[in-house]
Amino acid sequence: MNRGTLTITISLLVLCTIALCITLAARKVSGRNSEAQTSAQAYNPYPAGILPSDLNPEIERVRRELRVLEGRALARWRALKPPILTGQPPTLQNTGTEAVETLGELMNYDQNISPNRNQACSFCHMPYAGFSGPIPSVNLTMIAYPGTVHFRAGKRTAQRYTYSPFFPVLQYNQVQGLFFGGNFFDSRSTGYLLRNADAEQAQHPPVDTQEMGFPDTACVALRLSQAEYRPLFEQVWGKGSFDIKFPPETERICDTPGGAAVFGGSATPIPLTPEDGTRANTVYNHWGQSIDAYEQSVQVSPFTSKFDAFLKGNYKLTADEMAGLKLFDGKGNCNSCHLDGRGTTLKSGQTDTSAAAAVNPLLTCFGSANEGLPLNPRNAIYYQTTPDSFGFTANPLGFGYRDLGLGTFLRSGPGSAPNPNSTWTQFAPSTDGQMQVSTARNAAMTPPQCPTTEAPGPYFQKEFFHNGYIKSLKQLVHFYNTRDKYKYNVTSGHCPAGTTEKVDCWPMPEVPNNIDMTSGNLGMTDKEEDQIVAFLQTLTDGYTTPYPNRDTFTGTCMTGGSAKTQGNDFLIPTPQLPPCASAICGVQPVPKPAIP
Amino acid sequence: MNKLLLKLNLTAIAVSLVYSSPACTQESPSTNKAARVRITQGPEIERADPDFAIIRWTSNNPGGSPEHYGVVRYGTDPTKLNQTAKSPIRLNPGHSYTIFRVRMDGLKPRTTYYYTVDSTEADGKGDRVKSSVKHFSTP
Repeated sequence: MNRGTLTITISLLVLCTIALCITLAARKVSGRNSEAQTSAQAYNPYPAGILPSDLNPEIERVRRELRVLEGRALARWRALKPPILTGQPPTLQNTGTEAVETLGELMNYDQNISPNRNQACSFCHMPYAGFSGPIPSVNLTMIAYPGTVHFRAGKRTAQRYTYSPFFPVLQYNQVQGLFFGGNFFDSRSTGYLLRNADAEQAQHPPVDTQEMGFPDTACVALRLSQAEYRPLFEQVWGKGSFDIKFPPETERICDTPGGAAVFGGSATPIPLTPEDGTRANTVYNHWGQSIDAYEQSVQVSPFTSKFDAFLKGNYKLTADEMAGLKLFDGKGNCNSCHLDGRGTTLKSGQTDTSAAAAVNPLLTCFGSANEGLPLNPRNAIYYQTTPDSFGFTANPLGFGYRDLGLGTFLRSGPGSAPNPNSTWTQFAPSTDGQMQVSTARNAAMTPPQCPTTEAPGPYFQKEFFHNGYIKSLKQLVHFYNTRDKYKYNVTSGHCPAGTTEKVDCWPMPEVPNNIDMTSGNLGMTDKEEDQIVAFLQTLTDGYTTPYPNRDTFTGTCMTGGSAKTQGNDFLIPTPQLPPCASAICGVQPVPKPAIP
Repeated sequence: MNKLLLKLNLTAIAVSLVYSSPACTQESPSTNKAARVRITQGPEIERADPDFAIIRWTSNNPGGSPEHYGVVRYGTDPTKLNQTAKSPIRLNPGHSYTIFRVRMDGLKPRTTYYYTVDSTEADGKGDRVKSSVKHFSTP
């Protein structure tokens, strides 16, 4: 090599090194920008006060907690003795159950399953909140949680997914004339293909435009193929799972959130061959089934509450808890739908000596009901009426939107999902306003350092029912007890002078049709309401054995005030409501009577 | 006497079977139907506003589907009860009675309404408890 050649070679090496450094630096900056997009490029169509002032730091707090949880799941995987595939049909012997549950756990906390790599399933469902919403200020204000694109948001509270795997596939029982099962408040996750409502539920958020937000289900397969825990996936579901030839533009497509105008409305913008599309769909199904395995495991749904111990005969309910149980079954009539497995209704002075009818009651009837909740004007969905920087508009209907729940799903209406069974559509008018009867289990679960949901606390602020209008269990029971006694023909924020909203004034229901009248004027005293709350608190898992991962909350507890008026400082006046939009209330078969 | 004991035993076994089935427990078990379904209290006005009312009554157990509808047929002429209001309720299999409550919207102020009440299963099959014609007035 002569001197000139050496000089040229060295110069080229230096240039390459400089270029590499510049590229790496640019990537680092790009990564930081992605993290900081919350403030720099945020979509914010909201009036002042809808978004909580601490939203950005609270989002980052939850993301830090997610990383802790993912670390624990990775450690669990690494400590797992590999199962042995053997037998006919082939079975992952010995640790197969734990393997698929751990795989689901890893998926649940993986923030890469979103275009901006900033949101995992559990972002809206943290263990310490009974796998419901983890940000107290969001629970007080915007109700729905921000998605991968800040600050797009959905329309409902984050439903607890403890015990959701026990809900059956959605079925219309012709003899009873009722729907049973499904997942989500509107039962739109029917389980019609996988025959598992919960596994299908896990498939929705990754491609929900206002949640994790992928534009194509195949993006789940792409990101899983890059995951650290890919070997576990292949161990559970097969070595060839990711033999998919992704076109070069796949990364760019999966980095772009769903609903972006650039996709022109396509649900499958990744141009996969039919064979690769089928493989990607199989991965997507295994995604849902793995998460279902985790949610059904003792990590999430363990039946370890005081009430479970009581059913076993290993815990004596306190006087208030027992009184609450009697009211739950009796005067409160709660167990007409939140079935607790007890066999008798006690009269005054009687003692419950009945054998438990079931040792694992789920405190739901798998049905749906319209409890007549008022429209909550804080719900973020009403304000997303203009396009974001991707050209996506979550709710062009504004306050013309009404949440008809199961009725809208049966009509394949906006904000829900396509109804896979057209014979069900005829039942939409008799189900308008109905929301799934959630299990009462873990309604009261909070982080250990904030031991209650109830003011004055120290308490962890939760939100209840589908639209988060109710802020404490005391309010929840009081609503069932007095909804019709203190009914006023006003919207939220407009209770008459001399009354207090949620105490002696309940605004009109958002959906006046099909309101369930099992409750609404139960005649219970203030003390009796408290006793039902005491009973509800016995339904929190973690009494017989510690509840896994409940210790990860690093936020702040709240103190002061009263459970009766908890959150009332954040009430805002409902604006003059336009009529229910024709895209919702004008779809056949239309609501009867018409919804204003 | 022995026959009576046998009947009681069989009934107890049947009841325990119903209650011991997890499926029944979770999916709203049917409620036993009373030998003769009848209204035991009411109907009466729980609340009357200028444009709204709630009518309530109690019957012994109507049985059948877990969801029932309270049905009120009403009008301003006692011989023409040509309007209908109905509200869903859930039977409680542990209760020996059922309280029906029906919301009536869109009423006119200072008007007398005549009504009868009935209840049905979710599929519309009647419980045959139709009351006599009663009346109330909105303020």
